[in-house]
Amino acid sequence: MKWLDFETIPKVILEREPDYPPWAVSLTNTLVNRTGSWRIFRPKYFDKTPPCNDACPAHEKIQGYMELVKQKKFLEGYELIIEDNPFPSITGRVCFHPCEASCNRGEYDESLGIHNVERFLGDYGLKRAKAKKSAAHISKQIAIIGSGPAGLTCAYYLAKSGYKVIVYEHFSLPGGMLRVGIPAYRLPKDILNKEIRKLEVLGVKFKTNFTLGKDIFLDDLKQTNDAVFIATGAHKSRNLGVPEEKTRGVYSGLEFLAQINSGKRPRIGKEILVIGGGNTAVDAARSALRLGILPKILYRRTRHEMPAVAEEVQEAENEGIPIHFLVAPVKVIKSKGRITRLECQKMKLGKPDESGRRRPVPIKGSNFRIKCDSVICAIGEQIDLSVLTDDIATTGWSISADDWGRTNLPNIFAGGDCVTGPKMVVDAIAAGKRTALAIDSYFTSREIKEEPNPEITLFSNLNIGYFELAQKVTMPGLNVKERKRNFREVHLGYNELMVYKEADRCFSCGVCNKCDNCFVFCPDLAVMKSDDKYDFDYDYCKGCGVCAYECPRNAISMEEEEAR
Amino acid sequence: MKKVITGNHAVSYGAQLARSQVIAAYPITPQTQIVELLSEFCASGKLNAKFIKVESEHSAMSACIAAAATGARTFTATSSQGLALMHEMLHWAAGARLPVVLANVNRAMGPGWSVWTDQNDSLSQRDLGWLQFYCESNQEVMDTVIQAFKIGEKVLLPVMVILDAFVLSHTSEPVDIPDQELVDRFLPLPPVNLPYKLDVEDPHAFGALTSPDHYYEIRFKIQKAQDEAVQVAKEVDEEFKNILGRGYGIVEPYRCDDAKLILVTSGTITGTARIVVDSERVKGRKVGLLKIRMFRPTPIKELREILPRAQKVVVIDRNISFGHSGVFCQEIKSALYGLPVQPTIFGFIIGIGGRDVTAQDIEEIVDYASKTEKPDSIILWRGVRL
Repeated sequence: MKWLDFETIPKVILEREPDYPPWAVSLTNTLVNRTGSWRIFRPKYFDKTPPCNDACPAHEKIQGYMELVKQKKFLEGYELIIEDNPFPSITGRVCFHPCEASCNRGEYDESLGIHNVERFLGDYGLKRAKAKKSAAHISKQIAIIGSGPAGLTCAYYLAKSGYKVIVYEHFSLPGGMLRVGIPAYRLPKDILNKEIRKLEVLGVKFKTNFTLGKDIFLDDLKQTNDAVFIATGAHKSRNLGVPEEKTRGVYSGLEFLAQINSGKRPRIGKEILVIGGGNTAVDAARSALRLGILPKILYRRTRHEMPAVAEEVQEAENEGIPIHFLVAPVKVIKSKGRITRLECQKMKLGKPDESGRRRPVPIKGSNFRIKCDSVICAIGEQIDLSVLTDDIATTGWSISADDWGRTNLPNIFAGGDCVTGPKMVVDAIAAGKRTALAIDSYFTSREIKEEPNPEITLFSNLNIGYFELAQKVTMPGLNVKERKRNFREVHLGYNELMVYKEADRCFSCGVCNKCDNCFVFCPDLAVMKSDDKYDFDYDYCKGCGVCAYECPRNAISMEEEEAR
Repeated sequence: MKKVITGNHAVSYGAQLARSQVIAAYPITPQTQIVELLSEFCASGKLNAKFIKVESEHSAMSACIAAAATGARTFTATSSQGLALMHEMLHWAAGARLPVVLANVNRAMGPGWSVWTDQNDSLSQRDLGWLQFYCESNQEVMDTVIQAFKIGEKVLLPVMVILDAFVLSHTSEPVDIPDQELVDRFLPLPPVNLPYKLDVEDPHAFGALTSPDHYYEIRFKIQKAQDEAVQVAKEVDEEFKNILGRGYGIVEPYRCDDAKLILVTSGTITGTARIVVDSERVKGRKVGLLKIRMFRPTPIKELREILPRAQKVVVIDRNISFGHSGVFCQEIKSALYGLPVQPTIFGFIIGIGGRDVTAQDIEEIVDYASKTEKPDSIILWRGVRL
């Protein structure tokens, strides 16, 4: 009996095959379905401001030049910097780089060495960029008093725009604080000279050995020029305020530096105390060391409150300079008209003062004396208002001017340290640039361009999974032994390989750098790519937001669709 | 060219000779060497394929599905827990009728954690629509991978090529690696000709919501393709034999013609059983062997033709379907259902979790079955330690 024969009985008995595709597939082409109509959120390419650009007082387009360095377009990188800061070879050396403190990479591994890259581009540009020749074609003349970073910058941008510019300088060479305040081991003189030469080629006239209030007067300048920019800085050393401080052997920090920086060897003893915790104090101490003397730094608060840049303090300590904290001078002890000892007092930290730092409070009965033959006093610089005319409004200690350098007088502008008190070189550069814009606007009524987009990309806005850990490229430099008894530059700069490697660490926060992630991830193929940009095909983009999420750098924003 | 290589590398050579275009895989012992070698082939340019690194087997199969949907010849390999993690996407590959080829190294499922061989991982995936081939030697592994592409691409179903952990995966044997030119004569060059492709120029919706009005028919077609696959697999094996000189059949009967007792095996136990058949024959016992190479679709016709010749059929399962019995045993009983003459079927379970299966074990099984009229129970546990 063949009860059930699998050979003759088929498994399936049907009259005909079902007329179906082999699997679930739409028979119509899906292009007819414009799924863009489902969208309630719309992606948009929208570049934000990287935190570095924002933190830079001059608003250098840092992310922009990092991208150019990644493409090895060094000259283009230089040109991009000098749109905002004409002296990258200077700031690349002496700037305290607030950009690096705000760099998002700092929250990941280590901040980008931005100023190292800036310095490379600055030096590259000084060597390779074609000098811009004089182009004065506007019949307006501007007098600038002071050739520090504010004055030089203002002169640069005005001359570039076609104005006639004359810069007056108190010292015998232009440069202001860049020349007399900053030691050569941080900013070699030939770099400064080359930058100033750049301005001379551009047609800027320098008149040195002109002191305001002595050789030139504001009232005259006002008459003979169409506008005047006061950028005299803060050159007056603050006094110690202790008995007998006018004794021989007590020097001002700035004077001491000015002498060294003009190539003179100051007549100074062998046992030197430097009083103060700011950059002038550290510069003075490190300069003294290079004369073959081991100074001591005395500071009345602790390391934490020191206004000097931590890196410079670290270098001073590396070089062997001792720093004594919580010590303040109370009296100069002299013998035969010369200082022999400094009487000091121990301090402790009390409640915070108006600067937010804890106030040093003397400890009673803790007085002691330190043997010395010289004291360098570097407890801060002040603005000399005595050289001004009475009609200029002041705050009592500085010139009153707005962010654009506009004073109460229509054709008188002021900026830099003489307005703000001592700040960074780049702050003065920023003030010089802004004032140049304001002066131009004063003559032409051109609107002054807004500051960068206020939307900043923070670390939390990045999709950090796309970035690999990468160590910062170390800047080569002189070892401590090599620094003794000379003023050779300590840090030696990146080479092309190093600068490329370092720039490659840049996240390009908030700015599209054409990484293709949106193009790759869009599930609707709604990202259209052309040579220079991407666009969304809103006919099909469903607004899912995958592009914005997968963008490593927050360059895509999602906006709610408006009801139609 | 003959080379002494492991089963894992035999798989890699097979996938390379088949000109795989996309490989997406995640490492898992004892499979890892398969994709390691393939990644080297890709890196060195020996194989012109896109190698996609993924974060899980689920993603590996997902990537394979997407790639295969464009018509790319697609390959992956996994084992045990990895195969289980793919489960959802294994359904997808079959439901979407995509001829992905997957090499699975049979490894016992945890817990207890194991890396040694048994068949429970692949047999847990038997009902999805995938074709399944169980291999006996490294040569067969390589040849089956190449055949699998051709079979799968003809019937539009994914194919699983299965080899035992360590016994094949990490054991070296001489393998004849054919010239590319010969393989190209056997296997058409990619891309695969699909009736509907994922194509940006002609976009369609794939795998979307399918109502009861349509779903049933689509499932019907999967079974129909499985039915057709029996004949296709036989023909492809024939073509392979004509061009490359080796064939395996979908099952292989060994000394079954006059056998009174037929052993049924799969995987590497077959090789051991072959030796026992020969030694039993010397002793005068008429023992035969049926090797099941293709398990899905089940070669029902062959089973019904061959097995009723003997009075006794002894099925050796290196797996257990908990709550029932060995999977091969169940399926053979089901295949023989309705025949007027039924052999007595003994269902042995052995070697679970990679415990060694020796010739002596199989001899004792034959001895027991020869001397016993009816099995004592549905499951005959061999070698459980008390």
